[in-house]
Amino acid sequence: MVKKKEFIIFFLLFLLALFFVYIYNNITKAKDDIFDRIENHQIEQISSILKNIEKDILDSAEIKSSKDLFSLFNDENMRESYERIISLMLTSNVKYAYILYKDEKDRFRFLLDASKTDKAEFYQKFDVTLSEYEAIYREKKPQIIKQHDIENLYLTYLYPIISNGHVVGLFSIDITTNIQKIILESIKPLETFFVVLIIFILLLMAMTIMQIFHYFVTRKKIFTDTLTKTFNRNYLEEISSMLNLEHYSLAMLDLDKFKAINDTYGHKAGDYVLAQASRIFKDSIRDSDILIRYGGEEFLLLIHNRNDSESNIDICERLRHNVSKEHFYYDTNEIKVHVSIGLHKHPSLEKNIQEAIKIADGMLYIAKKNGRNRVIAYDELEHAKTSSSASSKDISYVKEALDDERVLCYFQPIYNHKSGEIFKYEALVRIVSKNNTVISPMQFLPQLKHTNMHYKLTQRILLIVFEKFRNNQKLVSININFSDLMNPDIEEMIIKNLKNNHHLASRITFEILESDEIDDVELFKQKINLLHSLKTKVSIDDFGSGYSNFKTIIDVEANFLKIDGSLIKNIDKNNKDFRVVKSIIHFARQSNMQTIAEFVHSKEVYEKLLLLDIDYMQGFYISAPEASLVEREELFKTAF
Amino acid sequence: MKTVSILFFLTIALFASDNKDIMRAQILEKIISNISINETVTVWSDNKELLAELKKSTHIITSNDCAKATVIILENKEKIHDDACKNKPVFVLEYNLLKELPKSFGAFFWKKGRPNIVIIEPRIESQNISVSKELKVYVEEKVW
Repeated sequence: MVKKKEFIIFFLLFLLALFFVYIYNNITKAKDDIFDRIENHQIEQISSILKNIEKDILDSAEIKSSKDLFSLFNDENMRESYERIISLMLTSNVKYAYILYKDEKDRFRFLLDASKTDKAEFYQKFDVTLSEYEAIYREKKPQIIKQHDIENLYLTYLYPIISNGHVVGLFSIDITTNIQKIILESIKPLETFFVVLIIFILLLMAMTIMQIFHYFVTRKKIFTDTLTKTFNRNYLEEISSMLNLEHYSLAMLDLDKFKAINDTYGHKAGDYVLAQASRIFKDSIRDSDILIRYGGEEFLLLIHNRNDSESNIDICERLRHNVSKEHFYYDTNEIKVHVSIGLHKHPSLEKNIQEAIKIADGMLYIAKKNGRNRVIAYDELEHAKTSSSASSKDISYVKEALDDERVLCYFQPIYNHKSGEIFKYEALVRIVSKNNTVISPMQFLPQLKHTNMHYKLTQRILLIVFEKFRNNQKLVSININFSDLMNPDIEEMIIKNLKNNHHLASRITFEILESDEIDDVELFKQKINLLHSLKTKVSIDDFGSGYSNFKTIIDVEANFLKIDGSLIKNIDKNNKDFRVVKSIIHFARQSNMQTIAEFVHSKEVYEKLLLLDIDYMQGFYISAPEASLVEREELFKTAF
Repeated sequence: MKTVSILFFLTIALFASDNKDIMRAQILEKIISNISINETVTVWSDNKELLAELKKSTHIITSNDCAKATVIILENKEKIHDDACKNKPVFVLEYNLLKELPKSFGAFFWKKGRPNIVIIEPRIESQNISVSKELKVYVEEKVW
């Protein structure tokens, strides 16, 4: 849009340049026209004089032939007499004036030379090479020779001396360039002015072109990812409003175990792998397809619909296969790279591109969950339900927040009422919006469920918490769901950070949602055992809200049981809830688990829980979650 | 054909005002190549620039000593001091020199901006100089 103005300026300058070229051309034409007029005027004058002299010569001596003419001028007195007459024509513009005649051998000879300089002898031969000298005898008409290369001569005017219908001799008048020089000198400033003006306009045009060129280069930079040379998310934002999704399928591509590559071989190796993988992607697609680096190791591919037999799944499979078969070498290390792909074959069915991206990302999540290095395509019928309820804006919102480092943790103390001390803190995810407001997880977490983005968010939270608590003595709880535990990248991260750091591991509690859909109990138990083996503690979160059986809870040997807030918040008023909580506490004690009550929002609830002798309490009555770790003295400060 | 080539040179000479010296040397080279005397033609000129240009020619022999030359190309008659040179055939670069030097047999000069060649028949005959057919068109019976 901005460049429309530059194009108009360029067009106007172009018109202006054309106009000045036209003017300059007209000046040149006018100059030639002036020259022609002067020339004609001079020739007219000379011609009339010569006509008179011719008449005088012919009449006075009764010239009948060229021999008569020769005889006439052979007389020195006669010659001198006519030289005086003809010399009157000599001016600053007329340099030479002489009479030639052609002898019997067809050689031109001077019969008379009235010139003041370079005067020829009588009957001296004059070598002529131009055809006009012969033409004057043939045509019996005056001839004009434009002299371009004889010093200071502009033209030669040949005038025939005709007697009895025959040319017996000729006047030759050489005219100098003096007048033309004067005219040229007069016009030169005007010509120079226009030339300078045209050059100036051409320079302006060149500058405008450079500016337009610069715009396109900058535009390209803005829309190009420097590492992979693919488009970036800015480009997606630019085109999304004008993109007709009916012509495309949409795929989300994610390099498997990329973090491990970075950690093992270094970031430079990671960058190399990203660049190489992008090259393979680009080599495997057509120009009509659009490849965008969506962030990190994640790419978005818009596959333009083909008319040929190759389906979109085939294209994705080809992409995946091409990456898998490639040998990536970095510093003599061979790095195996695989890619998982989530495909939405008909993104135009969605409300907008963000919806389609979310669905493709969900497919990517499944591809990762099912063992990576595979393509999962979206089945509209199977997923109709989930797609209809999702909010598309939030996934890209979280993605952007992750990229911009705007994801952070708040910490809420869990209070030990018996000792009067803070037992530990629960890490709670927050996103800081671009206008610096803090966004609660309720606004973005539900939309991330079953998307690859959820993994990435969990990984980020783990990193933040590990870093914050690595070097202090405090205890912390981290929420994690069953799907996260199944994720190999997350598992790798937990092992890497905690396996050799018992000091940190022993202070960490993983709170696993009891309400999470645990579809493979045995696998769930294995993962919990892994956490135990690392010396971390395990807490069952939101106990009482889900449907898991007591046996599973006992089998996983959790350290803590956090009672769901829905049972706590009305405990002071609802006797039924009171009895349920009392039973849970009893069950936990019997199973060697400590109990935590969340949602302690009032003094009444707090006092009721004291009656039940619960182990720990957490809630706004005690302390709201804060960006920093609150101290004992700051508890119970919130007025309700 | 040869006549055409000298005419061609004369025509070219008209358009070569910037390189008049070079063009003059080329025309003179052509003229000298088309004359013959009893002995080998060796050229000397009082015009050093012209002599330097003629030295580049592969067709004619030049000498820095006028005594060793068989043909002299002369621009200024005052420059022949050596008696040994005074009786040698002379080709002059001014028409008037033809009148002043009886030994001059021809001239190449510019007349009103146009190149001209003149060869005087009695003088070439008296000095046993023969000219090729190509130069015949420039031969005159006498100096006018």
